Amino acid sequence: MNRISAFHRNSRVAQVALLAAVWFVGNLISRGLGLPFPGAIVGLGLMLALLLSGWVKPTAVRRGAKFLIGEMLLFFVPAVLAVLDHAEWLSITGLKLFAAVLLGTLMVMLGTAIAVDLSYRWWVRHAAVR
Amino acid sequence: MLPSADILANGALWSVATIAAYLVARALYRRVHHWALSPLIVAPAILVAAALATQVGYAPYIAGTHWLMLALGPATVAFALPIYEHRATIRRLWPVLLVGVVVGSGIAMLSAWGLALAFGLSDSLRLSLLPRSMSMPFALIVAEDVGGVPDLTAVFVVLTAVVGVAVGEILLKWLPLTSSLARGSLFGMGAHGAGVAKANEIGGEEGSIAGLVMVLSGVVNVLAAPLIVLLIR
Repeated sequence: MNRISAFHRNSRVAQVALLAAVWFVGNLISRGLGLPFPGAIVGLGLMLALLLSGWVKPTAVRRGAKFLIGEMLLFFVPAVLAVLDHAEWLSITGLKLFAAVLLGTLMVMLGTAIAVDLSYRWWVRHAAVR
Repeated sequence: MLPSADILANGALWSVATIAAYLVARALYRRVHHWALSPLIVAPAILVAAALATQVGYAPYIAGTHWLMLALGPATVAFALPIYEHRATIRRLWPVLLVGVVVGSGIAMLSAWGLALAFGLSDSLRLSLLPRSMSMPFALIVAEDVGGVPDLTAVFVVLTAVVGVAVGEILLKWLPLTSSLARGSLFGMGAHGAGVAKANEIGGEEGSIAGLVMVLSGVVNVLAAPLIVLLIR
């Protein structure tokens, strides 16, 4: 038993397989119950429950999780090639899209940072004073 | 209908090319740490050049490489780990994190909607722009939910990451932010994965908060997507 868990703790492949298995079960649950969320999200909740309950130790998935999250660009780069079908973005539409992303991101960052800064100051004054 | 040998060979070729382009882009960025050489730009650029040179369109390309995207499922499950590891922070600071995620996600969607309308962009572009501030796996899920085109969303998510790192750096210089919490949220909410990497360069605390805000906003948005659909229909 100990040998198996030591192997699992050191094997990135086994850890990725465990995360994939949880994803698979999440898919079964999502489809079986007709949930409005995909299996990946159900799997995320399931994995969190397994960690919180202590059934799965964080060391049993840490290496696999770091790999999947760290190399995520490889897994989504195929979809980015969708630009091949959009030569029209080399025109004014592309500029508009760029401006929408630039201005929108500016607003998101400004709004988020200010909201968090103000609510954090509020939190320090009220919640933390005890 | 079984795929012909030609299609299989084509898929294998483009899969190898995709992995190679990714590894080259990653190695280049480790040597030359400059935002313009981010793997987010270089990896797709190499592949676009290769596709144009060989006159391959998106349809045959994605048919052969779509299997790589299956890993986004287990990667989403993997996001349970940062939530678990920062559970103490969440328990302590949940009101502040909630404000950041709700305000940030709200502005993200409203700004995408409003700017797309103001610029007269098509409906499908507008809907595909909605989830652009989320981490990729969440964004692709929400794009599908709201009736956008996930592949277009993928392009906008990458563009947001690249633009966001630059915008965030400028904002940080003149915004009088007093807490690492605000600095981290700015990058995690505004530039998802690339923002988290940038926040980590600024400080460990900023990095953890950015990562946490990115994951929490992704989860909250996916859970809220059915409601958002009701609102925009």
